[in-house]
Amino acid sequence: MLTEKYRPDKLSAYVGQKSAVEDFVKWMRDWKPGKGVVLHGPPGVGKTTLVYAFARENNIDLIETNASDLRSSKELSETMSSAVSQKSLFNRGKIFLFDEVDGISGYEDKGGVGEMIRIVESSKYPVVMIANDPYSKKLYELRKRADMVAFRKLTVWDVMKRLQLIADAERVFVSRDYIHDIAKKSGGDMRSAINDLELVCRSVKPTVEDMRHSGLREREVSIFDAMGALFKATSARMARDSIGNVDKEPDEIFWWIENNITGEYEDPEEVAKAYDMLSRADVFRNRIRSRQNWKFLAYMIDMMTGGVAVSKKAPYRKYVRYQYPQNIAIMGRTKGSRAATKEVFSIMTKELHCSSRKIKWEMLPYLRIMAKEDGFRGGLEKEMKLEEGALDFLA
Amino acid sequence: MVLEIWAEKYRPRMLADVINQKHVTDRMKAFVKDKHIPHLMFAGPAGTGKTTMGLALARELYGTEWKKNVLELNASDERGIDVIRHKVKEFARTKPIGGVQFRIVILDEADALTQDAQQALRRTMESHTGISRFILICNWSTKIIEPIQSRCAVFRFRSLSEDDIKTYIDRVAKSEKLDLDGGAVNAIIEITEGDLRRVSNLMQSAASLGSKISQDSIYDAASRAKPNDVRDMLNQAISGNFSESRKMLQDLLLKQGLAGSDVLSEIHRQIYSFDMPEEKKMVLIDKCGEYDFRISEGGNELIQIEAFLAQVSLLSKK
Repeated sequence: MLTEKYRPDKLSAYVGQKSAVEDFVKWMRDWKPGKGVVLHGPPGVGKTTLVYAFARENNIDLIETNASDLRSSKELSETMSSAVSQKSLFNRGKIFLFDEVDGISGYEDKGGVGEMIRIVESSKYPVVMIANDPYSKKLYELRKRADMVAFRKLTVWDVMKRLQLIADAERVFVSRDYIHDIAKKSGGDMRSAINDLELVCRSVKPTVEDMRHSGLREREVSIFDAMGALFKATSARMARDSIGNVDKEPDEIFWWIENNITGEYEDPEEVAKAYDMLSRADVFRNRIRSRQNWKFLAYMIDMMTGGVAVSKKAPYRKYVRYQYPQNIAIMGRTKGSRAATKEVFSIMTKELHCSSRKIKWEMLPYLRIMAKEDGFRGGLEKEMKLEEGALDFLA
Repeated sequence: MVLEIWAEKYRPRMLADVINQKHVTDRMKAFVKDKHIPHLMFAGPAGTGKTTMGLALARELYGTEWKKNVLELNASDERGIDVIRHKVKEFARTKPIGGVQFRIVILDEADALTQDAQQALRRTMESHTGISRFILICNWSTKIIEPIQSRCAVFRFRSLSEDDIKTYIDRVAKSEKLDLDGGAVNAIIEITEGDLRRVSNLMQSAASLGSKISQDSIYDAASRAKPNDVRDMLNQAISGNFSESRKMLQDLLLKQGLAGSDVLSEIHRQIYSFDMPEEKKMVLIDKCGEYDFRISEGGNELIQIEAFLAQVSLLSKK
C-alpha cells in the first residue's frame, strides 16, 4: 500500500498541520507524568503519522493499540504492564499510543476507558491518544486528564504536493489535472487521496522502460477498483486504461459498466449519454461476433470505457458500491426455470401452430385471463401432455 | 388437437371451412384433386388463415396420417442457417411415406429467416423438388428474397371483412352456447382488427370472466390483455425514474423472455399517447427508430432499449 510505503518517517517530510505539529512537539518536550494528550481531527490528516514520525526521529519506542486490538481493561493492563516492565533496547524512551480511542466499544472493550484513564494517571511515559471525535461521550472522563491538539483538513495544495512526489517516486505519469482532481475529491483526507492515486498507478500499464528501471510488475486490478477508476476518470484515455489490468473478458466488463451507470451518475443527461455510448459499443460488440473480426474490439472498449466516462459533467465525489451485473445474475439464477419454460413453450409451439415469440406476446396475456377459470390449466396440461403444474406460471 | 384453447378448437380442419380467401381455397382444392402442388407462398396479415390453409391442405392431401409427411417449422424460433442446412434438408431429401409423391415442409413466419438461411433454402428447394414441396408463410413477401419468391406460387391473403369476422364469431358462439349481444360483437370487431386468433382469444377470455358477454366484458378482457407492463415501464421512465424502468425491462426480457422487437414496437405505438409536447414525441420516435436499427444490426436488445428509456427520462425532464 502506498499509504504505508510513503508514510513520512521524519518531521521534515511531514506535510501541513503547522500548528498541530508545534503544539505536539511542545507537549512532548514539556510532558510531566499524570497527563495525556488527545490528537483529534478528521480522518487521513496525519494524526497517527505525526506520532510515528516524531518517535522515529527521536528514537522512541511506540507501544500501540488500535481498534483492531481487543481493548478491554484486562487486555490493556496486560499489554501496558508487559511493555513497562520490558527494558527498552539501549534504554530508549517510550510512548504509549492509543489510536482510534473513540472506536472503543462499550461492550467488547468493557472497562477499556477506565483502564486507559488509570494508565494516563500512573504512566511513567507519555500517553498519546488519537480520536476523530474527541467530544464523544465515552471520552468525557478522559478529556479531564488530557491536553487537546487539533488537526485540520489538509489544503488541496498540500495534498497535491504529496501526490506528485509519490507519483514521481513510483515512476507513473499522472497528469497534473488528475492529481488536482484527486486532491480536490479527497476533501483534505491525505490517506484517501493516496489510495485513489494508487488506483491510477495500478491501472496504468507500466512501460517497458519502467519495468527495467523499477522492476515494477503488472499488477492485477480488481473489477471494483477498475470501476472506480473508470467512472471517476477525467479523460477517455484514463478511462480506457482503467480496465487494462482487469482479469475479465471485455464482454463481462461491458455488463459491469452497464450495471453501475445508474449508481454513479445522477443527472439524466449523463445517464442518457452514457447509455448511448454503451449502445454504440454494443454495435461494435456485435460486429466482432458476427464477423469474427477482433479489429473492432478496440472500438468497443473505447466506447464503453471512454465514452461512458466522458458522459459525466464532473467526477462524483462519493463512495459507490459497485455491483455485480444484474442481468448476468438473473440469467444465472433463472437458468433452471428458463430451461423448463423453454421445454413447455416448444410443446405449445407445436400444438398451437405458432412461434414461441408469438405465444409469449400474443397468447399469454389471454391465457392468463383464461387460467382464472377452474380446471383450465389442468385440462390444458393434460391435452398437451405436460407435467402437472407445468402451466403454473399462468396463474 | 387442443380443445381447451378456442383458437385451436375452431381452427378449420378442411379447406371448405376456411373463412373467406375463396380465391386461394379454390386453387387448393384443385391441387388436392390433382394430388400435386408446386412450392407455395402464403402472404398476408396475421390471423387471416394462412397457417390454417397450409394445415388443411396437408390434411386433405394425406388424410389422417398427414403428420408423417409434414414438417412444421417456425422460422421465428428456428431462423438460422443451421436449421435449413440440417433439419430441413434432412427431411426434404427423405422419401415420402405411404405411396404419396412428395412431403411438405411448412415454414411458418418465414420472414424471420436470416438472409443466409434464405440463400441456403433456395438451394434446398431446388435440389429435392422431386420428393418435397415447401409452403412458406409470411406477413410480408417483400422480406423473402426474389429467387425464392420466383420458385413459389404466391398467394396473397386478404384482410377479413366485418361479415367474415361475424361469421366466425357466430360459429364459436353457437358451439360454445355463448350469450353474446350486438354491442359485444361490434367491440370484438373493433378491437381485433380482423385477426381471427385474437377474436378467439378475446372471446374465450371474456367468457372466462363471466357467462354473459357484453361490450363491457369484451373491453374489460381486452384491457387486461394489453401489454400493461410496457406501459408501466414507460411511465417510470417518463417520471424520471430510469432505474426502476430499467429493472422492469430486465424483468420483461430476461424473466418473461419477451422478444425485444415486440417490446420496442409496443413502445413505438405508445409514444403517441405520452404526456409531452408533440415535438418531443417525434424526437423520441426518431430515437426509437435508431435503437431499433441498432438491434436489427445485431445489437443487444436489453442495452438498446435501456438506452432508449434513458432518452425518455432525459427528454421528459427537460
